[in-house]
Amino acid sequence: MLEITSVSKNFGGLAAVSDVSFTVKEGEVVGLIGPNGAGKTTLLNLICGIYKPNSGSIRFEGTDITGMPSNKICKIGISRTYQIPQPFESMTALAGVLVGVLNGKKRAHMSLPDASLEASYYLEFVGLFSKRDTLARDLNLYELRMLELARALATTPKLLLLDEVMAGLNPSEASKALDMIWSAQDQFAITILWIEHVMKIIMNATQRVVVLHYGKKIAEGPPREVTSDPKIIEAYLGAKYAQH
Amino acid sequence: MVNFELRRDRIVARWRDKKTEWVIEPRYWRNSTIAITCLFILPLFLYGFPHILTMFTTANLYAAIAIPLALQLLGTGRVNFGPQLYLGVGGYTAALLNLHFGWNPAMTLMATILVCAAIALILSPTTWIAKGLYFSLITLILPLTFLDITYIWGDIFRGEVGLVGMSPLLAFKKVTWNYIAYYYLSLILMLLYLLVCDRTVRSRIGVSMAAVNENENVARMMGVRVDAYKVFFYVAPSILTGIVGWFIVHTFRTFAGVTYLPLEFMAKILIIVIIGGRAFLYGAIPGAYLISIVEDSLRRLGPVNYFVFPLILIALIVVLPRGEGLWGLYKKRRPRDYFPKLHVRRE
Amino acid sequence: MSVSIQGSANPMSDLLLQIVIYTLIWGSIYLLISLGFSLICGVLRIFHLGYGVIFVLAAYLTWTFMEDAGLGLVPSIILMILVQCAFALIVFYKGVFQRYLEEEEILLTVSLLVFLVIVHLANYLFPVTAGVSIPSTIIDDIVTIGGITIAWQMIIAALVGVVVTAIYVVALTRTRIGLVIRAISQNLPAALLMGANVNRMYYLAMILSVIPPTICMIMIAPFWGIDPFMGMPLLMTAMLVSILGGLGNLKGSIVASYLIGFIHASVSFVFVPRFMGFAALIVTLIVMIYRRGGIFAGETLW
Repeated sequence: MLEITSVSKNFGGLAAVSDVSFTVKEGEVVGLIGPNGAGKTTLLNLICGIYKPNSGSIRFEGTDITGMPSNKICKIGISRTYQIPQPFESMTALAGVLVGVLNGKKRAHMSLPDASLEASYYLEFVGLFSKRDTLARDLNLYELRMLELARALATTPKLLLLDEVMAGLNPSEASKALDMIWSAQDQFAITILWIEHVMKIIMNATQRVVVLHYGKKIAEGPPREVTSDPKIIEAYLGAKYAQH
Repeated sequence: MVNFELRRDRIVARWRDKKTEWVIEPRYWRNSTIAITCLFILPLFLYGFPHILTMFTTANLYAAIAIPLALQLLGTGRVNFGPQLYLGVGGYTAALLNLHFGWNPAMTLMATILVCAAIALILSPTTWIAKGLYFSLITLILPLTFLDITYIWGDIFRGEVGLVGMSPLLAFKKVTWNYIAYYYLSLILMLLYLLVCDRTVRSRIGVSMAAVNENENVARMMGVRVDAYKVFFYVAPSILTGIVGWFIVHTFRTFAGVTYLPLEFMAKILIIVIIGGRAFLYGAIPGAYLISIVEDSLRRLGPVNYFVFPLILIALIVVLPRGEGLWGLYKKRRPRDYFPKLHVRRE
Repeated sequence: MSVSIQGSANPMSDLLLQIVIYTLIWGSIYLLISLGFSLICGVLRIFHLGYGVIFVLAAYLTWTFMEDAGLGLVPSIILMILVQCAFALIVFYKGVFQRYLEEEEILLTVSLLVFLVIVHLANYLFPVTAGVSIPSTIIDDIVTIGGITIAWQMIIAALVGVVVTAIYVVALTRTRIGLVIRAISQNLPAALLMGANVNRMYYLAMILSVIPPTICMIMIAPFWGIDPFMGMPLLMTAMLVSILGGLGNLKGSIVASYLIGFIHASVSFVFVPRFMGFAALIVTLIVMIYRRGGIFAGETLW
């Protein structure tokens, strides 16, 4: 579904991503791991069209999306969440999801009440229906991440890019979030590419893992195999101890 | 026949067995109907004072310039320091075509719309190219450059004297009827602008525009065509302002760039938007009326008014509550209403 | 400005010499005009739309002190500078900038309104018939270079411009206070963490920004003529230089002043003088298309 071929991106002299290639098949949950600064978020930004890669190509369902503007990429069917939640602060949760519903997909003219109804359905799916009229700046971190998820789902994606959804959540919130993502994947039949640091989630949720280090891909395979690879342990210097 | 009862917060009218209640609590939603009715029946009391009618006509026109400016503030998220550029462009187009080619007002209206649209489209890349403060600066400089142009090519534009003698929109035999007719026309123009801008802000376009205002990159990632929105919210208010220029030309029948293009006029319009409440479109109307009345009363003082007027404007800004202005005094905002933050410097 | 081209053997080289000389002279004068503006922009990060006030106050306060208080030229100038600093600190810094830092559009509008108040007040108190002038001509003579005649006062004004700019640049790059100011301009939170006394530096920046335009006004008053509405064109020049050179960047201001001086000179002498301002604006817009943010984009002082 998503084919990344030899993608590289330099910022000045720094090679953020160099010669990374992998594919994501339909229906998979693929994890993207690596130490900090490995270029994972940059790769996500490249897929989303925020940056243009210096070389290489990205194909989604056969179409070449390298360097396409972000709004066209959204309409093709890719959505993302952000590492630091970026809600629309002065707008209510409902309004934020409403923007996604109205603009996410080519639809025939949808009226505002109909779009609000659909937006409230997404809010209710993530459990935020009671907070639909609160301004986004008044929500706590867990609710913000759920709002990001609802917003991303509202654009009816085929591929969902998750960027460190679990960062900052306590264990109970983390397991609730994981359940939410699983039921989203079930119900909406989406493929997920997931950047994560929390190894437990990676073990449980993903079927395949790609490891980046200093912008290069150093391993790919099922999670258990990859995390017991001594090269990866050396890169992380902690993966072995993180098996809790 | 019809019995009226005055209760503590409402008027109850009974006719036979039907009862209607009219709530007169402040901040009631029917207040707008009351206000519009008051504005419409105003000439009945003032037809003997054409001077005051002209003042109110000018107030309506100020509001008609301030409403598209407020829409542009909300839509592009940047402050436009030169809304009067299109006033000048529209006015001169209408005046020149009327004087030199004899076009009637309907045809000059079409020409004004086309010329303003063309120039706005040419200048619209500044909305997405100019980062940070640069958009505001360029819009500040452009009307002054246009004023320079009117002086340079003074034989066409007639510089300071301006163009006179354009054909009027209406000509009644009694002069008082002219004043009243122009008052109603300007009132209808202003209310039409208010309606159009309000509907835009409350629609799907308005929600996406608010998203662009908040966080452009996230909005783009959600499928909003950010550049198209910025261009639309630059071109549409410019066309509306140009139409006001056309109206001025055919109502007052004189048009001089030096009245409408320099900084003093721009300050007036910006103050109307700021005092009226910069996030509220409706606030432009009480702001415009206030400024117009103040300006007219000060004019009687003679040449002193040129520096007393800005002083009073400063006093008004200092005194009124920040950001919410006059309209904020009236309207109780619900927590879930969208109140945008205006960024002057925007990346 | 009295300039006469005496007939010489080669009109082409005369033209070139004229353009070069006027580029240097006007460039230096524009530099003097925009120095304070760039300083405020780069350090306080505020676009000071009321900057034109400084020119108007400089001219009219000096005139008032000389005529109504009967002081000599030098005491008037000193007193005027003190009043200017007080005005800049109290009215602009405390009254406008600190109050409306969060709502920038109100800040810009109120600065502009203060400017309008002062300008119209000056116009009301000193109409054209009052004959306001500042006798600050240092050498009342003209000089002929090549085939071109120029008043000494203009050359002195240009030289003063270069000297003042050099002093400012040296102060910014070689002194400790200059280092602190540069740090504040580049990264305010880091400078705060390093212990810079930001408020005091802001006061200093406001005072420093008042001095170049005052000196400029005193120098150019004899040949430019004093008029209450001259604040606006001078502010526009400063703004254009800032936009072209990069907001708040001194290096950019230096380059842009001479560039705009060159544009004005060449358009005036090769084409028609009335297109000067328009040509400068077109060039600025074109530069903005290719380099967003001006020539030295980065918004730091040096």
